[in-house]
Amino acid sequence: MSVLSKKEYRPYYFIAPLLVFICLFILLPIVGTLFTSLMRDVTFLPQKFIFLGNYSDLLRDEGFWRSMRFTLFFIAVAVPLEMLLGTAFAALLDMELPMRGFLRACVLIPWAIPSAISAKIWQLIYNYSYGLANFLITHLGLSQGPVNWLGSEGGAFAAIVIADVWKTAPFVTLLVLAGLQAVPHDLRLQAKIDRANFAQIFFRVTLPLIKPVLLVALLFRTIDSLRIFDVIYVLTNGGPGGSTASASLYAYKYFLGGDFGYGSAVSVLLFAVAFGMSCLYVKVSKFESEI
Amino acid sequence: MNLKLLLPLFLAFALAAGCAPEKKELVFAVGGAPSELDEWESVIEDFSREKGIKARLLRQPTDSDQRRQGILIPLKARVRNPDVFLMDIAWIGQFAASGWLEDLNPYINKEGYDLGKFWKNILDSADTFGGELVAMPVYIDAGVLYYRRDLLEKYGVKKVPEHWDEFIAVAARIQEKERAQNPKFFAFVWQGAQYEGLVCDFLEFATMEGGGIGLSGGKIKLDTPANRAAAGLMRDLIFKHKISPPNVFTDMKEEEARLFFQSGNALFERNWPYAWGLHQAGDSPVKGKVGIARIPAFPGRSSVSTLGGWHIGISRFSDAKSEAWEFLKYALSRGTQKKLSLALGWNPARKDVYSDPEVLAKYPHFRALSEVFSGAKSRPQLPYYTQVSDVLQRYLNSAVAAKTDPASAFGSAEKEINAMMERYK
Repeated sequence: MSVLSKKEYRPYYFIAPLLVFICLFILLPIVGTLFTSLMRDVTFLPQKFIFLGNYSDLLRDEGFWRSMRFTLFFIAVAVPLEMLLGTAFAALLDMELPMRGFLRACVLIPWAIPSAISAKIWQLIYNYSYGLANFLITHLGLSQGPVNWLGSEGGAFAAIVIADVWKTAPFVTLLVLAGLQAVPHDLRLQAKIDRANFAQIFFRVTLPLIKPVLLVALLFRTIDSLRIFDVIYVLTNGGPGGSTASASLYAYKYFLGGDFGYGSAVSVLLFAVAFGMSCLYVKVSKFESEI
Repeated sequence: MNLKLLLPLFLAFALAAGCAPEKKELVFAVGGAPSELDEWESVIEDFSREKGIKARLLRQPTDSDQRRQGILIPLKARVRNPDVFLMDIAWIGQFAASGWLEDLNPYINKEGYDLGKFWKNILDSADTFGGELVAMPVYIDAGVLYYRRDLLEKYGVKKVPEHWDEFIAVAARIQEKERAQNPKFFAFVWQGAQYEGLVCDFLEFATMEGGGIGLSGGKIKLDTPANRAAAGLMRDLIFKHKISPPNVFTDMKEEEARLFFQSGNALFERNWPYAWGLHQAGDSPVKGKVGIARIPAFPGRSSVSTLGGWHIGISRFSDAKSEAWEFLKYALSRGTQKKLSLALGWNPARKDVYSDPEVLAKYPHFRALSEVFSGAKSRPQLPYYTQVSDVLQRYLNSAVAAKTDPASAFGSAEKEINAMMERYK
């Protein structure tokens, strides 16, 4: 029945636990959500198969589009910042610095703090009446009175981006730093002997070698940002005026209201976008051949 | 590893677990502040001892959305636990329409339980769904106006203003004078962040004829002159009269308003009765300087308070319904209600506790509250109230933030809600 010999089967035994885990906790819920999204699954109405009914309602739902636009815009702003800062920190921490171990540990702290807690910290910083940000700007004389940071759409957006970048840039640092350590030292030494300057070494030698790692980081960050929820839930809960409601938050509100079908449809669309983006990255980067 | 051996083993375990005889145990799901949970813990212990029914507390978080999620999921899965739980008044419509709540009428009729001890307007508007009594109030909330007695006296104001024009004039005058010593001073704080509390506050502002969330013929009516005036007033308090701080619409929920007022930086505060105990606590800078009044209304109209509070219901999927009913009665008994009130400052659901000398000695403001409760208004009891409120919060917040004018905010909200209501027909 099989063309594989007994020996060739062996690896499959080893990855079997992982496969079972993925099927149980990832694949099954995805299929379940997909199925639910095709139903009118509202707690207070009889359950009914409506095929694409939820989706056609979604396409006409201004609130959904608004949340989708916000989410994509958020990715476009936050992810490049995270990549840039994360890579810069990684490059710095890769150098021979005094107290390097300590600094490396420090950079990781924001990432180790649970998102909800770090969002709460940022909320205290941005608070109008007793927040640190207003304390600083009024005492340094930068502003006449306190600023209502979360009060305008732009302000709330910037506040969320800052909180998220602060929290997740270290993740990029971690990955890129690992990539940098794998770059053979001789190559950089060779370039140095050839009198290449620091920038040349970094952009011509190091960067191409860590490209696969960068792509992994980019992929992780994009998908992670696509489902941004906790920071917003704590910081603005979608305000002011619904301008910072992400798609996940939008889905959550429907789950809470007992409309599981509609909430699932939002989740499925998000999944589709994430899946599409992953495919695109893999294709563009020829991911498989390089890692 | 031999799969052939593993599978039957696994099945055997699963079967054994499923068949294990389980002792009936009453599970009561409740959340809240740690002090509240401790109090419930002692209530349930007393109940177990006195009635000989095994009962256990299922501790939930403080956050009300998370409490809701924690009950919603087992009920949706038709699991037999929790048997009995507390619900926010705003969830009852959804839970009842989903068929999750046991009708209490048969129990009441069988035992001749006296409902006269409870406010009829609350039982009728919040706890009755399709002719069934699906819940009972455990404690009651209604919006009230806190004021600084000392400041009103200082500036010779004899009576708390009852109408907005007078209220704004008094507030602006005192704010200007107080600013000389305290630049952080604002006259009036309330709940304007994008969340359920904003809708509660809005309904109290919308006292004019035709205000509030209007429903007729399966359509919603929001864009009325009364509602425009209410949202306009809320916005003007911040931007025109400048007597409310600009962060009202960004981060002001109950606790933010309470802390602002309690630190001595405000003259008036709209909040729920829970704030009273904290304002009067030993370390509170405003201790002994606070009074309670009704929320002002538009000229010629009378004050409206939004009804809040937590209600107890029994799961239709419970396997211990009669035990749950016993617990419900116990939680609503005069003794328990008094105990919870004295320990936590809650406003009891039973009227007779409000005349208890011991309770009145500790909470003299209860006299004023019982009058507020009898006139308090419920939010619409729609199964999809959460979704309606969610849209309304978004547009209201935008209007209060002066980003959208009230007319177009309500127009858009109406359109979006009506489209959504189509889905739930």
